[in-house]
Amino acid sequence: MKSKLFTPALVVVACLLGYGTYLGLKVAPTEATMGDVQRIFYCHVPSASTGFTLFFLNFIASVVYLWKKSPKADAWAVTTAEVGVVFCSVVLVTGPIWARYAWGTWWVWDMRLTTTLILWLLYVSYLVLRRSSEAGSSSVLAAALAVFAFLDVPIVYMANRWFRTNHPQPMIGTPNLDPRMAHVLYVNMIAFLFFGLLIAWFRYDLERVSQKLAALHIRRAAGGGASLAVLPAMFLEAGHVNPNFYLYGAYFAAWGIYIGYLLFLMSKLRKLHQEEREMRVS
Amino acid sequence: MSLGVARLTSVNVRKDLRLEWRSRDVFNSMLFFALLVVVVFSFAFDPSAEESRRMLGGLIWIAFLFSTTMALNQSWARELRNGVLDAYRVSPAPPEALFLGKCLGNFLFVLLLECLMAPLFIIFYNLRPLGPVWQLVVISLLGTWALVVNGTFFAVMSIRTRSRELMLPLLLLPVSIPAVLMMVTATTAVLTGESSPVPQLKFLAGYCVVFTTTCFLLFDTVLNAE
Repeated sequence: MKSKLFTPALVVVACLLGYGTYLGLKVAPTEATMGDVQRIFYCHVPSASTGFTLFFLNFIASVVYLWKKSPKADAWAVTTAEVGVVFCSVVLVTGPIWARYAWGTWWVWDMRLTTTLILWLLYVSYLVLRRSSEAGSSSVLAAALAVFAFLDVPIVYMANRWFRTNHPQPMIGTPNLDPRMAHVLYVNMIAFLFFGLLIAWFRYDLERVSQKLAALHIRRAAGGGASLAVLPAMFLEAGHVNPNFYLYGAYFAAWGIYIGYLLFLMSKLRKLHQEEREMRVS
Repeated sequence: MSLGVARLTSVNVRKDLRLEWRSRDVFNSMLFFALLVVVVFSFAFDPSAEESRRMLGGLIWIAFLFSTTMALNQSWARELRNGVLDAYRVSPAPPEALFLGKCLGNFLFVLLLECLMAPLFIIFYNLRPLGPVWQLVVISLLGTWALVVNGTFFAVMSIRTRSRELMLPLLLLPVSIPAVLMMVTATTAVLTGESSPVPQLKFLAGYCVVFTTTCFLLFDTVLNAE
């Protein structure tokens, strides 16, 4: 069932991402004051919304795990946390690049920046906990930590009210956002969401494989490796914009992180293959 | 049943206090560590009275946060020796009593530490708060509880991992950031006398309620995680 759906999903995500980036870099109108650097927005905001969605899914999966103790929920929890951290890293890298241009400084201790950074720290500590705890208890401990992390986020956000905020106010659904820009943003948000879910799916298959090490599943998960083919398409689009160090810096950094993560997944897949072969021999 | 929990809690607290009274190893190292932080910061920044009012809120809570972390690790590590924790797990005693007892014990240690350290801050940093001093007492009560309740919970989580003591700060610090932020801004507000710490205190109280509830709900699960 899954392996049949995976290839069409891959094609859809590739088209959506390509189309979204094409819109973001070429079709969207140039912003009046910031110029083309504003186009980082079409990569930054969708990554943020996808990352937060994944963290929310992590919370749901953790609660389901604490309740039902199903290994599937546990696999979803680790998957969404890990992929969420990747998307959140992209947000934390592209944001300062934009800020250096727009505000003249890489970082300010502003409400949204601080919240995102703490969110990132929380889920990194979640992954560290998973790594360093004993196999049996790790899922339960991690699920408990996920509940804390999820509760902490709104509290951090409110706690930061005492600091003045520099971050642009949210514009989605307000008349301040040019409708053409809004269209591009929505396409990108959907594209990134599907991209995130696709990687999560791939990662989930891997997690299930390492839970069971069954040959059938390894073959199925291998299809996910093809999602790497999505990425080079993105760079073809970047041709006709005013060359700008910050804009390219942000896009290359973002895709560098995504590709790096996918390469990491590929190496993990190879290791699983090897383990499976060794098991068959012995 | 509720009477049973109260009695068991008090037994746990008394046991912890007696152990600590006889060995004093945790409290001495906490006190000495906090003292070192104060002295090192004083050397590093050499602040004037006006500057120290601005930075001391942060410094006080950093010193207490780190020394609390030391104490928390020890408080559970003690239960691992002779399999006390496993004995507790198989006994019919409610785990909430154990958790509450540990929290109260640690709370008392950290409060005592704060009382002993307060004169040192005044001496080393020429401190004279400009706002009402009683508010500092409320801040320290709420702030200490916020640190201790989460800290006790994450300490029991971290002793179940391979790297034990190393895990606690990694888990505790990110979750505690909003509480630390509130304690620091509230303390600075009282020290400089520029604004009222009441909104931060309300927030801190809310934080304590939310996380105390969560800790109690999840403690059983974490204690028995296999």
